Amino acid sequence: MQHHQKVERRTILKAAGASLAVAGLGATATACGGDSGSGDGTVTIRYAWWGAEDRAERINKTIKLFEKKYPKIKVKTDFQPYTDFWKKFNTQASGGNPPDVFQNAIGFLRKYDAKNVLLDLSEQVKAGNLSMDGFRAGLDKFGEIDGKLLGVPVGSNSMALVIDKPVYTKAGVKPEQGWTWDDFDAAMKNIRDKTGRAGDSGMYGVMYLYDLYLRQNGKAFFTEDGLGFSEADLTDWWTKAKKGVEEGVYTDAKKVAQIKPKSAVAAEIAAGEFTWDNFTVRYTAEGKSEYGLAPIPTTDGKKTGQYLGSLMLSASKRTQHPKEVAQFIDFMVHDPEVAKIMGYDRGVPATQAQYDAFKPTDEVNKAIAAYEESLVAAGVLEPITPHPNGADICEAAFLRIAEELALGKRSVDDAVKQFFTESKTALGS
Amino acid sequence: MGTTVTHAPAREGLSKGNGPQPRHGPVKSSRPAALKRRGRRENLAGYLFMSPWIAGFLLLTAGPMVASLYFAFTDYNLFDAPRWIGLDNFSEMFGDPRWQHSVRVTLWYVVVGTPLKLLAALGVALLLAQPRRGQAFYRAAFYAPSLIGASVSIAIVWKAIFSDDAIVDRTQKLFGLNVGGWTGDPDMIIYSLVALTVWQFGAPMVIFLAGLKQVPRELYEAAEVDGAGKLRRFWNITLPMISPVLFFNVLLETIHSFQIFSSAYIVGGGAGGNACGPADGSMVYTCYLYVQGFENSRMGLASAMAWMLLVAVALVTAVLFWSQKRWVHYEEGAR
Repeated sequence: MQHHQKVERRTILKAAGASLAVAGLGATATACGGDSGSGDGTVTIRYAWWGAEDRAERINKTIKLFEKKYPKIKVKTDFQPYTDFWKKFNTQASGGNPPDVFQNAIGFLRKYDAKNVLLDLSEQVKAGNLSMDGFRAGLDKFGEIDGKLLGVPVGSNSMALVIDKPVYTKAGVKPEQGWTWDDFDAAMKNIRDKTGRAGDSGMYGVMYLYDLYLRQNGKAFFTEDGLGFSEADLTDWWTKAKKGVEEGVYTDAKKVAQIKPKSAVAAEIAAGEFTWDNFTVRYTAEGKSEYGLAPIPTTDGKKTGQYLGSLMLSASKRTQHPKEVAQFIDFMVHDPEVAKIMGYDRGVPATQAQYDAFKPTDEVNKAIAAYEESLVAAGVLEPITPHPNGADICEAAFLRIAEELALGKRSVDDAVKQFFTESKTALGS
Repeated sequence: MGTTVTHAPAREGLSKGNGPQPRHGPVKSSRPAALKRRGRRENLAGYLFMSPWIAGFLLLTAGPMVASLYFAFTDYNLFDAPRWIGLDNFSEMFGDPRWQHSVRVTLWYVVVGTPLKLLAALGVALLLAQPRRGQAFYRAAFYAPSLIGASVSIAIVWKAIFSDDAIVDRTQKLFGLNVGGWTGDPDMIIYSLVALTVWQFGAPMVIFLAGLKQVPRELYEAAEVDGAGKLRRFWNITLPMISPVLFFNVLLETIHSFQIFSSAYIVGGGAGGNACGPADGSMVYTCYLYVQGFENSRMGLASAMAWMLLVAVALVTAVLFWSQKRWVHYEEGAR
């Protein structure tokens, strides 16, 4: 029996060893299967983007369409809200495992190019897997940095004043192209007095709006390698902001903080918000009211400082399947059916073919098209401000410090000083 | 079968022997080599069974700790190779007003939250120590929040409870307090986190209960005969007798409080670009560490912050250990 016991123990050890080995093998097999193609030539690419639930639904539909046309390519998806997306992306990219293809924005092009993360897609254009023909308004050059094609635009957008239409109507405010900041300030007071709602959710913290204001005055938020404005400029901007918060023309920052990630406009605690024009799509999904677009106020009655921006699709330099990724991007920016599904969710389609394929019938999308057409007609569009490496950190700091100011945790001077300290670190200047 | 019968009692005798002498003595002299071999084999088996844990410890705990100690003295953004910068991370940290703010928030949380939590735990433990009907149920019920309190879902619920026009805000209004929801207020949000930790008093409560059971009844009886009141008995008997347990709880909960992260991140999170609360209201130390590491990609600085936290917690622990001479009472020989 003692012999038997020994045998038993040995058997157990062997079994344990064997199962460890099997587990190990299993892990290896899974790791291998994760990225590369399987026997029948089917490859899987990973696609990640930021956005809300309604964007996810649309994108999943377009992916089904893509997989039908390219049965040998499978697409695995992943999405988060904006800030979480970039945290996750940064971690994945640093570990050498970024998604094969992902949504990108202008503020991140230089950053991730400097870190060697982005694939130069011009090779794929030459190979005929991706066409850069048929883009509207010079957008084909939008994702080019130092001669490299790092991002392919999916849709143009522009900063706008997104408004709760019934509230504006009730207050009797009718914003027109060329209205000035004085008109705007009067309108904010008007709305507060007649509707009891704050006019704006916190424009003083929106980097892209302050950029437009600076551009109206011959400056810009960034230069090629640093900040394009002085501490005195920002002191003026935030002094006005502080007054607005105290007077109740801007929403109580405590309330804005609590309802996030929902927007203050959709939550009906602000009558308007400066943001990208395609956000009306999201607000319409989120809120109950009717949302419209108003022009950006000007300094001289003409110049708004606006430019057309665009979200892009970029590819990872480490992708095993550059050809398939290029085909995917090509399909997403050129296929007319995709445009019909996406609408203006990511802006007005960047290619003429997609622009023609989707003729909006609903008010929200019609308004976006009309808004961008009016910008072209008014001739207010100018070249975009450069976004140096570190621009994303400056944007986050600008928003955060403005909020601290609005919550009364910082004086204007203190806030300005803190922003300049942090952005100088981020920009390395 | 026969062998088993003859051997079994012998083995049992060995294992139950009184002290080491019978265990080694006779067997060693008869079959020393075999036993050694066997012992080695048993050790091997032991290590093999422990190997998942050992591998995990080396790969997932010890390795990263050593690496982070190195990173603490480098400029490391995850992408480029770490660059040695000596103590620069530490000098930057001490001069950073946001870092100083996070230290203040954390200390405030520890100093306010920990005593309140222990008071709640001790209070409820005293109530539950008296035998009464449904005792087991009450103990389980009071312990339950500790099981779920640290979860993400509870933090989300907490955020909702303390928002504008939610239950806390409405209750306040009944008493004429119009301060609004706590989660949007940079000065109040930390108290919603304190409330969350106090609510999870179950774990220290169970330890207090065990401590209370150990207090000898005859001490109370003697005191009662001498005419000591309830308060007096608590102060002069209960408290000194459970002081080792109290010390243990203070130590554990203090260390635990320093490590607060997920509740601060979630209750304060979602506030736009901020990781931790409006105007950094719930920016506890670990939150700022996370922001520097993962939002700003400054892993070297984040590692330095992590080691600084370790040093600070070690210092606080040392002070607590030093202080126990003055207030912790150990029974003779129990030390």
